Amino acid sequence: MRPFNHFTPTTLSEALSLLAEHNGKTSVIAGGTDLLLKMKAGLRKSNVVVNIKRLPNLNCLTFNAIDGLKLGALTTLRELTRSPIIFEHYPVLAQTAHIMASEQIRSLATVGGNLCNAAPSADLAPPLIALGASVNLISSAGERRIPLENFFVGPGKSALQPGELLKEITLPPPVGKTAYLKHSPRVYMDIAIVGVAVRIQFEGDRFACREARVVLGAVAPVPLRAHQSEDVLAGQNLTEERILQAAKAAGQECSPIDDVRGAAWYRRRMVEVLLKRGIKSIQ
Amino acid sequence: MDQIIGQRVPKLDASAKATGKATYGHDIRLPGMLHGRILYSRYAHAKILNIDTSRAKNLRGVKCVLTSADNPSHLFGYGKDNKPFKDIARSLRDEIAGVVAIDPDIAEEALELITVEYEPLPAIFSPKEALAEGAPLIHPERKSQSNMFHSYRYTHGDLGQGERESDVVVEASYTVPYVTHACMETSVVVAQFDLRDHLTLWSTTQIPFLLQRDLSEALGISGSQIRIIQTAVGGAFGRGLDIYPYEPIAALMARKAGQPVRLAFSRHEEFTAGPARQPVEVTIRAGAKSDGTLTFRDVSSVLDVGAYISWGSVTPLVMMETTASLYQVPHVRFQADCVYTNNLITGAMRGYGNPQSTFFVETIMDRLAEALKMDPVEFRVRNANVPNSETPQGLIITSCGMKECLETVAANADQGAKHTSSAPVSDPTRNMANSRPLIEEDPPHLKRGIGFAATLNVGGGARIYRSDGCGATVKVDDFGHVTLITGSTEIGQGSETVLAQIVAQTLGVKMEDITVLNSDTDIKPWDVGVHASRTTFIAGNAAQLAALDARNQIFETAAELLKAKPEELQSYDGSVTVKNDPARSLTIAQAARSRHFKEGGKVILGEGWYDPPTKLVDKDTYKGNISAAYGFGAQMAEVEVDTETGKVRVLRLVCANDVGFAINPMAVEGQIEGGAQMGLGYALTEELIVKDGKILNPDLLDYRLFTSADMPEIKSIIVETDDPTGPFGAKGVGEMGGTPTAAAIANAIYDAIGIRMTQLPMTPERVLAAIMQKETTE
Repeated sequence: MRPFNHFTPTTLSEALSLLAEHNGKTSVIAGGTDLLLKMKAGLRKSNVVVNIKRLPNLNCLTFNAIDGLKLGALTTLRELTRSPIIFEHYPVLAQTAHIMASEQIRSLATVGGNLCNAAPSADLAPPLIALGASVNLISSAGERRIPLENFFVGPGKSALQPGELLKEITLPPPVGKTAYLKHSPRVYMDIAIVGVAVRIQFEGDRFACREARVVLGAVAPVPLRAHQSEDVLAGQNLTEERILQAAKAAGQECSPIDDVRGAAWYRRRMVEVLLKRGIKSIQ
Repeated sequence: MDQIIGQRVPKLDASAKATGKATYGHDIRLPGMLHGRILYSRYAHAKILNIDTSRAKNLRGVKCVLTSADNPSHLFGYGKDNKPFKDIARSLRDEIAGVVAIDPDIAEEALELITVEYEPLPAIFSPKEALAEGAPLIHPERKSQSNMFHSYRYTHGDLGQGERESDVVVEASYTVPYVTHACMETSVVVAQFDLRDHLTLWSTTQIPFLLQRDLSEALGISGSQIRIIQTAVGGAFGRGLDIYPYEPIAALMARKAGQPVRLAFSRHEEFTAGPARQPVEVTIRAGAKSDGTLTFRDVSSVLDVGAYISWGSVTPLVMMETTASLYQVPHVRFQADCVYTNNLITGAMRGYGNPQSTFFVETIMDRLAEALKMDPVEFRVRNANVPNSETPQGLIITSCGMKECLETVAANADQGAKHTSSAPVSDPTRNMANSRPLIEEDPPHLKRGIGFAATLNVGGGARIYRSDGCGATVKVDDFGHVTLITGSTEIGQGSETVLAQIVAQTLGVKMEDITVLNSDTDIKPWDVGVHASRTTFIAGNAAQLAALDARNQIFETAAELLKAKPEELQSYDGSVTVKNDPARSLTIAQAARSRHFKEGGKVILGEGWYDPPTKLVDKDTYKGNISAAYGFGAQMAEVEVDTETGKVRVLRLVCANDVGFAINPMAVEGQIEGGAQMGLGYALTEELIVKDGKILNPDLLDYRLFTSADMPEIKSIIVETDDPTGPFGAKGVGEMGGTPTAAAIANAIYDAIGIRMTQLPMTPERVLAAIMQKETTE
């Protein structure tokens, strides 16, 4: 690995001025489980690394019934798998985090890191988008909030501007039921070949859908809202036929590529299978 | 007297490894040690026109830069077709230049400052292209003027007769992929020259004495100037069976720099510059009579051996053994063409051709059983190898528990819940409180099946070289402490523990009184190397002979002191007693001291040399008894196939292995389970995806090994047949664990969904594609 300058600010303003000062040439390190591998492999060259692990209040995890959940960017994946708040209100996040990487990596890797890497296959992105998450981005110029689904711009590219830091993720109070299903050859230590999150707000019993959110991972340049599939489900009875129709729609509106992890045809097919199973699992 | 053999003795090095105290190659640090890195070719086939190293040399911290100008004028390797640095690159793993610097990062940076001018040449990435008329020659210097390295042709019986006698004939074509050892520890070497120009090499090799010879050829110095010190090894699995360019390169670097040099592979390099198991394209035909008797087997295969010849080109010898001698087959033909391409080099890997051939032979056995409407186990047992027989290939089978292995796994299969809806298998995600299980499977789409496969493996050495020998000495000191110095090599398989058990039992001392030295060519006697599941059998016999020699010396002295005859004595727990009069006793330490402290005294130093009564195969017919004993095994796999995703989950693997006698049952189980882990990966997830000579998944994310979370329940059952030649009746077991696994799983998939998979690994995508194809054609 090449030599680099390493800063460990202890206040947010210090961190933001460091980022502003080295405008665009910095890497922000939190868990480092992804960044360090890239740096060691020479895939990412950074002269300045800003360690944000000492920043206060970036690992908050609070919930109230009116505002919903506030999740600091430094929250580790392991915390997601252990938090009673998450279990009670957003169990899908605990389930998702649980099948990411391994216990050792989950102890270091952060929610913010998973999102800022902007991998199309990031496991947390589909369920968070399905839950209606927003992200708070802060820089020395000020703070802004955008919906998470607008945060991803392309593979490895996010809406973060130079000098900007992901501070926290906010979720509205939970509505309906949410599931995330991941297809990968291994249970753990694997990347999603396809990930499908689905949230359904039921009407009365669990056979009618008032509103649905369908979000697909690893089948487009960014985690993808499957709007057509959502429209198929919204306001409809969840018959077998309807579910299959929504699954087909999702398979058609994604744009997977052929790569070493899977062929495009297979990924489309898995979108259909996982969406069908996802809906049934929360019915 | 306590038995030491047959006991579940923990490995001698287990606690050092578990606590991180063991010294691996990566841990070696010498005063003044420098670090080397290698620049590899940008093209799979190219002429190097010019190399500009000036900028690299000027980088602060760089000691020297090496290119083909630093090569000695010698070719090395099995095919004598390789050299340290190339002036013509024949694959993307070809070494073009090397940098020595004060730290590895500076060396890495310097590599980027080297400018190479290439003239790309047409490259060949398949055997078919390589054998086409007018194909460019990968080694134009070869006399044959062909890209065919070697063509193996084996026959026994009369194939025509076999066909005529057949009531059923089946045929299929199979493809097996490149896979690699994926050792936990990447390749590493430290080289140091002393003032006498003697080279010491700290190495992860499996062949210390052959490496001395190979290095002496590569460097143009005498083997007597080379000392190999073997470190603790984080996995080998056949990787260390050949010399690779990085080893002479490290020596050249150390000589040029005048300081010790460490050359350690990155994980990426381990994938791209290490050897792989050779891919095979094969067509197999086989027949049987309606009563279930096998009639013939006909195999035709093509192997891509890559740009240079390593042991990959010799694996047909083992493939032909499986084809000719796994089960009793009267008429057999086997052909294998080994072809040069601009692809990866292929080397030895656990099983050495056997995982490939057992996959196609044992799946064709299943097809035959089906065509005959016979139970697959009954069909196999009917044709199984039997004790005290000679196969038409000339293998002399003495002890043989093949039938018992098959019947044992079959008996355990019945306990399974194949067609009943049993409780779901343990799913780790179910452990979570307050959350639904996150399994993507949906019960109606899950189909279960079971499948069987057997294996035959050399278990009494393998005469690949003119000698299959191993030397050992046993020394007893003043305190009764015993040192076994063995030529053999510990690579994590547990050989030093098993050898210590053999010596302790033979000599009558406790395990804690034994130290094993096995890592320094300046100290240990000669051995051919650790391969072919040979160490327990060959090194075990040598150690036993040395221990018997030492015991004779102890008894000779004890007899004088106890006023008895040597044949009246026995030894246990470090003491020698008169058999009929246990009160007359002394310690082994006392016997040793009395020899040391007297005029005309002697040390207690036993020696043993064991070279089994076997032959090299005939160079034209490939017949002959290559091993002094043969190991057998069988596996039953129970799988669950998700017909919507194509995902195959192995629920249970039952393994039965005839190991002659288990000197350490725990170590045997370790070998079987470790082998199964590799077999499961070969069957379902592991594949080096190679395009135009380039590995597209050179990392542990996309080269998918089975992790502990992916492993099914493994039941390992030991079958004992008491081999007449093995030490205490033992035979080798190192390679059998993973050999039949892919076939057993493929047969189980067929049982589950009625589809014969013909390509490994059987990934979800391939299985689903086969399911969809079947649905279309039906």
